[in-house]
Amino acid sequence: MIKRVLLTVAAVLCSLSLFAQSDFGGVKGKVVNRAGRIPIAGAELVLSQNGENVASVRSDAEGNFLVENLQNGIYDMKVTAPGFLDANVNVTVEGYIKDLIFVGMVLEQVVTDVDDSNFAEFDMEDSGFEDAPSILFGSNDPFTNIASFGFSSIRFKNRGYTNESQDVYLSGVRMNDAITGYSPYSLWSGLNEATRSKETTVGVETADESFGGYNGVTNIHAVPSSVRPGWRFSALTNSALYRLRLMATYASGELDNGWSYAFNVSARVGGNDWVKGVYYRNFAYYAGVEKRFGDYSRISLVTFAAPGQRGAQNASTQEVYDMMGDNMYNSNWGYQNGKVRNARVRKTFEPVTLLKYKYSDDKVDASVALLWRTGKNGYTAMDWYDAPDPRPDYYRNLPSYYYMEDPDYDRQNYQKYAWALDTWQHQLPQYTHINWDRLYNVNAGNFDEIGLRRSKYVIEERRVDQNDVHLTANVKYQLNKAISLAGGMTLRWNRTEYYKKLDDLLGGDYFINIDSFAERDFATNPAMVQNDLDYYMSKGTAPVVGKGDKYGYDYYANVMDERIWGRFALDLGGFKANLALEGGLNEFYREGLVRKGLFAGLDDNGNEIVYEGKVLTTYDSNGKPITSKGRSELQSFWTYSAKLGLQYHFAGGHRVYANAGYFNDAPTFSQSFISPRTRNSVVPNLETIKTVSTDLNYQYSNNGYNVRVTGFYTKIMDQSDMMSFYDDSQNSFTNFAMNGIDQRHMGIELGFKIPLVLQGLSMEGALSWGEYIYTSAPRMTQTIDNSAEVIADNALVPYWASHPVYKKNVVEGKTVYETDAKGDFIVEKWQKHYVPSTPQFAANLGLNYRTNSYWFFEIDAQYFANSYLDMNPLYRTDMAVAGPDNIATPVEVEYMAAQERFDPVFLLNASVGKSWYIDRKYNFGFSLNLQNITNNRYVKTGGYEQTRLIDSKSAERYYRFDSKYFYMQGINYMLNLYFRF
Amino acid sequence: MAVVVLLSGCEEFQPVFTGKYDVPEPARIYTDADFGTLTSIADVKQMYIDNDSKPYDIVDNCVIKGQIVSSDKTGNFYKSFYIQDETAGIEIKMGKNGLYNDYKIGQWVYVDCCNLTVGAYEGMIQIGYKDETGEYETAYLEHQILIDLHVFKGAIAEGADLVQPKVIAGEEVYDKKNVGTLVTIEGLKYLNKIFCIGYINPNIVDEDKKKSNENRFFLDEEDPDNWGINSWAMSETCFRQHVENGDFDNVVMNDGVTVGARKHLIVPQPYTMNQYFEMPGLSGARRYLQVRTSGYARFSDVDIPAPVLSGEATVTFTGVLTEFDGEMQFTLIDLSGVRKADGSPWYDENNKVIL
Repeated sequence: MIKRVLLTVAAVLCSLSLFAQSDFGGVKGKVVNRAGRIPIAGAELVLSQNGENVASVRSDAEGNFLVENLQNGIYDMKVTAPGFLDANVNVTVEGYIKDLIFVGMVLEQVVTDVDDSNFAEFDMEDSGFEDAPSILFGSNDPFTNIASFGFSSIRFKNRGYTNESQDVYLSGVRMNDAITGYSPYSLWSGLNEATRSKETTVGVETADESFGGYNGVTNIHAVPSSVRPGWRFSALTNSALYRLRLMATYASGELDNGWSYAFNVSARVGGNDWVKGVYYRNFAYYAGVEKRFGDYSRISLVTFAAPGQRGAQNASTQEVYDMMGDNMYNSNWGYQNGKVRNARVRKTFEPVTLLKYKYSDDKVDASVALLWRTGKNGYTAMDWYDAPDPRPDYYRNLPSYYYMEDPDYDRQNYQKYAWALDTWQHQLPQYTHINWDRLYNVNAGNFDEIGLRRSKYVIEERRVDQNDVHLTANVKYQLNKAISLAGGMTLRWNRTEYYKKLDDLLGGDYFINIDSFAERDFATNPAMVQNDLDYYMSKGTAPVVGKGDKYGYDYYANVMDERIWGRFALDLGGFKANLALEGGLNEFYREGLVRKGLFAGLDDNGNEIVYEGKVLTTYDSNGKPITSKGRSELQSFWTYSAKLGLQYHFAGGHRVYANAGYFNDAPTFSQSFISPRTRNSVVPNLETIKTVSTDLNYQYSNNGYNVRVTGFYTKIMDQSDMMSFYDDSQNSFTNFAMNGIDQRHMGIELGFKIPLVLQGLSMEGALSWGEYIYTSAPRMTQTIDNSAEVIADNALVPYWASHPVYKKNVVEGKTVYETDAKGDFIVEKWQKHYVPSTPQFAANLGLNYRTNSYWFFEIDAQYFANSYLDMNPLYRTDMAVAGPDNIATPVEVEYMAAQERFDPVFLLNASVGKSWYIDRKYNFGFSLNLQNITNNRYVKTGGYEQTRLIDSKSAERYYRFDSKYFYMQGINYMLNLYFRF
Repeated sequence: MAVVVLLSGCEEFQPVFTGKYDVPEPARIYTDADFGTLTSIADVKQMYIDNDSKPYDIVDNCVIKGQIVSSDKTGNFYKSFYIQDETAGIEIKMGKNGLYNDYKIGQWVYVDCCNLTVGAYEGMIQIGYKDETGEYETAYLEHQILIDLHVFKGAIAEGADLVQPKVIAGEEVYDKKNVGTLVTIEGLKYLNKIFCIGYINPNIVDEDKKKSNENRFFLDEEDPDNWGINSWAMSETCFRQHVENGDFDNVVMNDGVTVGARKHLIVPQPYTMNQYFEMPGLSGARRYLQVRTSGYARFSDVDIPAPVLSGEATVTFTGVLTEFDGEMQFTLIDLSGVRKADGSPWYDENNKVIL
């Protein structure tokens, strides 16, 4: 800051000597809080021309400011003050000191209390449905501001990119999950105040403390000195996620002795208006301390966590939703003695500790940070052994299993259909929800020879326990006014243990740790069905497990990630350029902790495993033993990426900038193993993901106008993906490991905020219009957790990126496909397949009104279209398309390979809020937000295709299983009351 | 703040109970008093016979009570169980997997037959749901609501109430009264004869193509080695092993081609098999007792004890007597139903032969 003032003074002095007196003037005034005209001290005023800063001053204790010796002309004056919204004023200097009298500023929190992160909490992974907030956080960017909050309920993905591509940093440390790449917002959910201060970039832009990717960077400061000083209490109630949130925050700001303290605690409890069985019992804490040493150094220590549990939602088929008359039906819960019990509960406690040293002087900004994430992350689920499937929406419980109009389905049992329909239409709880009473009764009646009860149904807890250590160092050096150099390096070690723990025996005494399904196929070879073969071979029996014991699978994911980056930035006033490079080494391996009978591998001495004279060791197609225990081969990926950014400021607040980048990313651990729960085998042809991304932007920011237009083009190549689904026909997980997936994302993005005639009234809008498509035919390897057989071995998925649509006519109500002279069907066009689970067209138009008495009103109309369902690879193979007769007809191709497009949707949202001040010291207020005012309950936000085929009576084709969907909730409110001093 | 707390207080804060759940009450145990007049199983079977041996849809009040004598625990029974009273035994076509979890051997069940159908499969009379497709004479109940409306669980019998297998011999085996009940047959001798229909590709959906001469082969002629098959049945793994060993290579299919010539086309699957035993006191084809075992049974790959295979020793079976088109078959519940002449078991609890 001091430096900037000095520079400005120098510039002004310099210009003084060059120009005649009459060409100069100045500007003065008083910065005030617009409500009550209370002076604001210490506000920073920066005047710029053609994008180049010309002068910079601060308001005095009375709010007064004065800038002199300005060359005549038009200037942009940006006024910033802590706790207030940034203000922009256009100033014309005409040879004298112009008195602006008052520069009014609006308090910040009336906006920020409609906080994006309040709503943006969804379940990730494990339910077949992955999602995350569309864009994590708001910023001053007009598009991001709207999209981050306003688009989250539709699960909008910025530019169609995956969650993994969104880089999230905490105090300069990259926090994206080491195993999956996901942005780990849940680590600090509920700590809105402690994590409020942040900086964000969009798209390929480079950030200050990192290299970043192609989908923006968010860096949450999280150190105590960044938390807004004072006390703050808030109580929030909402109908969407949890009933009540209570939060308390205190930050000391920097005290005279150089210390800063901050803490933030919250509790989120209760259910919601829409989905039964979903609840929160979450708490969160943050505590930080920081000490300044001398003028340049600071050390901070921060620790936080968001422990708690919450019930999860499940997707169902449309048939189920229609019968229940509710698209919010949740199959995860049932009554136990009249009380609602959810089988799927996420239980987490993952504390993060950060130690950071920071050095700043006029030329150098440097920091070293050490971060440690540990703890437990569990997700419960039903598990059962050789007993009927307990899920209420299991397909054999549905009417469609008994009767389909088309006789080719071979389902013509109308009476059973009617009975099944009856259970759903009357919503009989023992059929339409989990029947806990029955599960307990089965367990209670299953006595063994010695009178103990062996549980057949249990609750398992799938644990993902991380130990994640980062050491990050960054430095920025201002070589001269024009050139700055920055760079950094980061070392990361992650060891995550994946295992299952027995959570509840549901009335039984014990459970046996064997692979229940393998037992069907290998009944006469007890060694083959063992989940823990070593135990079996030494003790002669399978392990007996009780509550809290590990069972099933147990392995470590070990990841080592090292990166080094550097950036050269040129700042010539109006013209800016930067070039950044990053290189890295990402290495990982799986380390199995138990030996599974099906994948016995070799023993410690390299010998085959033999049980009762039978060799258990099996080999893959390359002749390598398939192993479950011990280390997999080390996967090593060298990566190198580069970014170039250019921008030019024109007079009057216009800016044109462009970015381009080439990125080379290692596949994540979670994308790389064909069946990580059971074996060390790696996806074939694993390679780095290459991404080319460019954007061209125009921004206008002046006089309260803020407009950005962006065009972007991104090509992502050689991606791998691992999808895992529970397949009831196999009573196990079936895994589809895909490789060679290419995508292309292109589109335009528009964001604007335009002041209207009435003071305080403005119009806001956002538009994202793109085409995100698949461009390659990938390959897939299909395996089942409880079988050594590779069902599909690196097989082509030819209809992944598109499928042909044939030329046809309707003759007397029947569709006739045309053929050419040779008798071949004529392809009319190739229907593209799209990147799913986000609207590819999203628009928002809103009005925003703020009064001088701190009222604010906002209303937004939204339109979303071109959203698609996630595809499974099975339906895009020749096998599925051709059917059992191996003849692919046009009807089959157009049916099996097609991708479902969701209906477009119109939504209306509104907010209102007010703040009150007492003695300038106490501030209290409220904000009320209404989402989906028209109560539209038919909006699909995502889902997935089931990966099973139905045989036909004709034996000529296959049919699909019904897809499962997630829907958006209907009208929701969120009311927040706060008090601060 | 208080307003928010009040507002949100309208909804309970524990929409989902998160404390320790109470263990549910045990399921209701039905007794005779719940049902009034009971019909005998023999009378229900007679309804089928009286209807010219065609499926009979029961529309009057008709509740039968029987004790469960079979279990699907080993997988040799599938989606159904047998109940018997003092008059007869009958199969109840339940239509769910893992029935033994809910229905124990020795448990009394009441079956309300009103709106159910009594029909037969190749001579075996069963109770099930009406098969609207007409493919079979009865269908599985299958949906839980149909089970709940028709099948009621009673107490588990103990001591003298527990049904004991009836020891039968000679022509008694052909007495229809014994079909579908728990029986013991003594002094059986292995005949070195099996029956199994194999498929080159069992996944062909079209029945005609599946049963074509190019796809189907028979393991039914007396072969001195039984193609190397010594087990009760063949799981997929076991079948694959035989194929890999070339055991079936010389089997000539109906179109004159050997299985060996089509070996590369074979898709392994589990195979149900009949092992033939000779019953004492009978002659000709009537002496055959076919012990039919599913390829999905847990003990399918377990070998018949060597002394039995070689004819040195006899065997006593306990299981459910069944019928297939006039031929008597026998279904083991598990291998504890395979005993030596002196009554001691041939297998231990891990299905290892006790010599």
